[in-house]
Amino acid sequence: MEERQYDLIFICLPDTPEPEIDKIISTIEHAAAEKGGKIESVNKWGRRRMAYRVRKMREGYYVYMVLKSSRGEVVKELERRLKVSDAVIKYLTIRLDEELKRQEKLKRHRERRAARRPRKTAPPPASSGAGEQAAASA
Amino acid sequence: MAEERAPQQAPPAPPPAAPPAGASGSSGAPGGGPSGPRPQGRPGGPPKRGKRSFVRKKKVCRFCVDKVDFIDYKKAEILAPFLQERGKILPRRMTGTCARHQRWLTVAIKRAQNIALLPFAAEL
Repeated sequence: MEERQYDLIFICLPDTPEPEIDKIISTIEHAAAEKGGKIESVNKWGRRRMAYRVRKMREGYYVYMVLKSSRGEVVKELERRLKVSDAVIKYLTIRLDEELKRQEKLKRHRERRAARRPRKTAPPPASSGAGEQAAASA
Repeated sequence: MAEERAPQQAPPAPPPAAPPAGASGSSGAPGGGPSGPRPQGRPGGPPKRGKRSFVRKKKVCRFCVDKVDFIDYKKAEILAPFLQERGKILPRRMTGTCARHQRWLTVAIKRAQNIALLPFAAEL
C-alpha cells in the first residue's frame, strides 16, 4: 500500500518538564516504529497560548511531528498512547498526503502554464483586443 | 482590427460577442461575463453622477494573488483575518475569497480550531 503522511500535534500541560516531553516523544517514536510507521520530523513549538481554555489551562506546550506510514493502525495506536498519557491534554492527527499531492499537481500545472504563456500571449492581442473594445463600447 | 481605440492592455479572456458590428450596437451592456463590466461606466452611467456614483472596488481572492496551492492550518496568523471578532468564519462576500480557496480555508480553520490554534468562539 502506498505510504501516507500525517501531521501529529499534541499539547502537553504547560508546566511539564522538558525531559518528560522528550520521554513522550521517544515513546511515540518507538510505538510508531513498532507498528511499521516512521516519525519523519519532530518540532517542539514550545509553550504558547491556546485559543481557548483546555482543562482550565490557557497555555500549552505544543509538539508537532510528521508521521509517515502505510498502515492506518499506527495512528490508532499513537492516539491511544497520547490519550492515556497524563501530561497530554490535547492531540490531533491529520492525514495530509492527498492534499500535498494536490498541491504538487497544481504547482506543476502552474509551472507548465507559465512556461507556455510567452508563446501564447503573442497571437491574441488582435482578437482579444477587439473583444475588449467591444465590451467597452457596449 | 476594426477600430484603433482598443485599450493598451489585452486580457486573453474571449468574450462571447465575437463580431464587433453587433457589439457596437445599442444595448449590449448586460451581456458580459459573471464579473460584469462594473468598474467601467455603463452606457447611461456617467451622466447621472448623483447619489449612486460610488464605485465598488472589486475584491480579489488573496490566496489567488499569492498563488497559494495549500492553506496551512498551522499558520493561525494567516487564517485569523478570515474570522469575525467572535470567531465565526467570514463569508466569501466579505473577504472576496474565491470558491475554491474558501473551501480550503474553512477546512484549515476547522483544523486549527481543533488544536486550539484558533477559537471556536471567542471568550468574553
